[in-house]
Amino acid sequence: MKHYLKLLNFEVNRFFKLYLTLIGLIIVSQFIGAIVVSKGYMNGVDQVMYKNQLSMSQYTEEYGLFSFNQFVGSGWFLLPIFFSIAILMIYVFFIWYRDWFGKNTFIYRLLMLPTERITIYFSKLTTIMLLVLGLVALQIVLISIEMQIVNSIIPTDLQSHFSFNDDYSLERLYPNTLTEFILIYGVGLIFVAVLFTAILIERSYGLQGIFIAIVYGMLSSGVFIAPLLVNRFLNGYFYSLEVFLLELVMSVIVLVSAIWIANHLLKYKIRV
Amino acid sequence: MIEVKNVEKKYGKKRVLKGLSFTAEKGEITCLIGINGVGKTTIMKAIMALTPINSGEILIDGEKIRKESFEKITFIPDTITMLPQMKICEAFAFMADFYKNWDSKRADELLQFFKLDSTERIANLSKGNMAKVNMILGLALNVDYLLMDEPFSGIDIFSREQIAEVFTSHLIEDRGVIITTHEISDIEHLIDRAVLIDNGEVLKEFSVEEVREKEGKSVVDVMREVYRG
Amino acid sequence: MTVKFNNRDPVYVQVIQHFKEQIAKGYFEPGQEIPSRRELANQLKINPNTAQRAYKEMGEQGLIFTEGNMPSCITKDEAVLKSVREELIIEAVDLFLGSIKSIDVPLSEVLEIVKKKHDAESGEAEGSK
Repeated sequence: MKHYLKLLNFEVNRFFKLYLTLIGLIIVSQFIGAIVVSKGYMNGVDQVMYKNQLSMSQYTEEYGLFSFNQFVGSGWFLLPIFFSIAILMIYVFFIWYRDWFGKNTFIYRLLMLPTERITIYFSKLTTIMLLVLGLVALQIVLISIEMQIVNSIIPTDLQSHFSFNDDYSLERLYPNTLTEFILIYGVGLIFVAVLFTAILIERSYGLQGIFIAIVYGMLSSGVFIAPLLVNRFLNGYFYSLEVFLLELVMSVIVLVSAIWIANHLLKYKIRV
Repeated sequence: MIEVKNVEKKYGKKRVLKGLSFTAEKGEITCLIGINGVGKTTIMKAIMALTPINSGEILIDGEKIRKESFEKITFIPDTITMLPQMKICEAFAFMADFYKNWDSKRADELLQFFKLDSTERIANLSKGNMAKVNMILGLALNVDYLLMDEPFSGIDIFSREQIAEVFTSHLIEDRGVIITTHEISDIEHLIDRAVLIDNGEVLKEFSVEEVREKEGKSVVDVMREVYRG
Repeated sequence: MTVKFNNRDPVYVQVIQHFKEQIAKGYFEPGQEIPSRRELANQLKINPNTAQRAYKEMGEQGLIFTEGNMPSCITKDEAVLKSVREELIIEAVDLFLGSIKSIDVPLSEVLEIVKKKHDAESGEAEGSK
């Protein structure tokens, strides 16, 4: 446990500079975006009101209210998020491969630590999850600040009410209930775990390993979506609660087998 | 004692280790000798469970390797096993964090002996100094067995002399050491046992003093016989 | 203290030989403390096991002695010290005779040359002082 926490701390630190850069990028882009979008909207409103000699209430009647979603749907808001997701996706691979490649051979050190080798796997997995959740949490804080920015530029009379549930993509990131939250991020965790195990298969068996890893990945996804497929095939034979429970069982199977395989590979098959 | 018994290893269809066996005792320096590509490094990796073997067995004091073994045996590969962006002192802190057997005092002594500055970044070190830091990462662990892969190759003569000096000191005494080399002449006087390897097999395993005493032959003489004969 | 070792004779035998020469030259005095085996290994750049072996042999031959936990010392036994000197001389003479024999020269001629050479060299040595 002590070694796990130390490794976790170590792994997070290794990504931290880039992480701060990503955070900086998101903040700068979204804050500028909040200003640009609001100002742009207000300019438009002013011009239309001036040209058509409309009052504010007449304007809103004709053209509708400003929704915060207009900002959330803009590139200013979304692009840095997509960029961060892309970087994190790449890092899911790089978090392993960086230890093998380059002038140093840090993987030697990691594998020679007096600790169960699966601890390395867990610490890297936790690192990815922490990085993701960190960004998700940051985004909540940022949105409330961005609302303040928008409010300071656009009078509230011109705005419609905004909640997280209004936006489809935001609702996915910030589910309403704890169960949904665990579900969404649980699926994410399983996805990363399966990718990690696939990477270790490649690291253990080389070129052939790539093939085995792909087969393994397809098999895992197959098992994972089996309940949904079967249910569709049977035209909704199961109750949704039953599907949910089956899905839960399959998730546990996929996750446990990913960890079991990774443990076996790290112990007996890994090559440096 | 480290026992390597009948170890076989294949890369694809190529057999790199063909039923290779030898032993290395605690308190002795055992040298694996052979030209590059005969499987010396692979043997060391196999001992440390850093590469799988197809058959055979490797025992350390009668036991298969497990996580506790890494407090008892360590491996110094021919490249540095720390992140290049780390300072030397950070690398030492990492070791102290994870190994009960890390001897900080000894690490500092070695740093002084090698005249290295602990605030230096590993990436900025010369090849010779990097080899020394790598050496310290192994030597400052209070382990019974030390494996070193080509500790003398590719570095300047003064670094080589300094590292050779380590072999005659208390840092090595009483430990079991396995080193690999393709160039024996520098260290003939330092080693206790020689294991001649070619093509994934042990051709001869002998005590160097015994061969000098009984047959009046140097290690190189024996190598000449074995490889040419 | 540096010694050039050859690769064909056991290193421990060469270490003993080195000690004998030092004793014969008077560099080591009777009863003088000698380096610990660890120091010796370090000075001569040899394996500590070899240093250990050399000391063990020298102990058995009576060249050095150890009292309890004290450091080892050169023997004070006059007879042993004398025999070391003699042994070295005899060894050198044997070697010399061996090479002379193969050239097949009369002893008297050789001895004369030896004396001449020796005088000249010691004269040179005197002169250089």
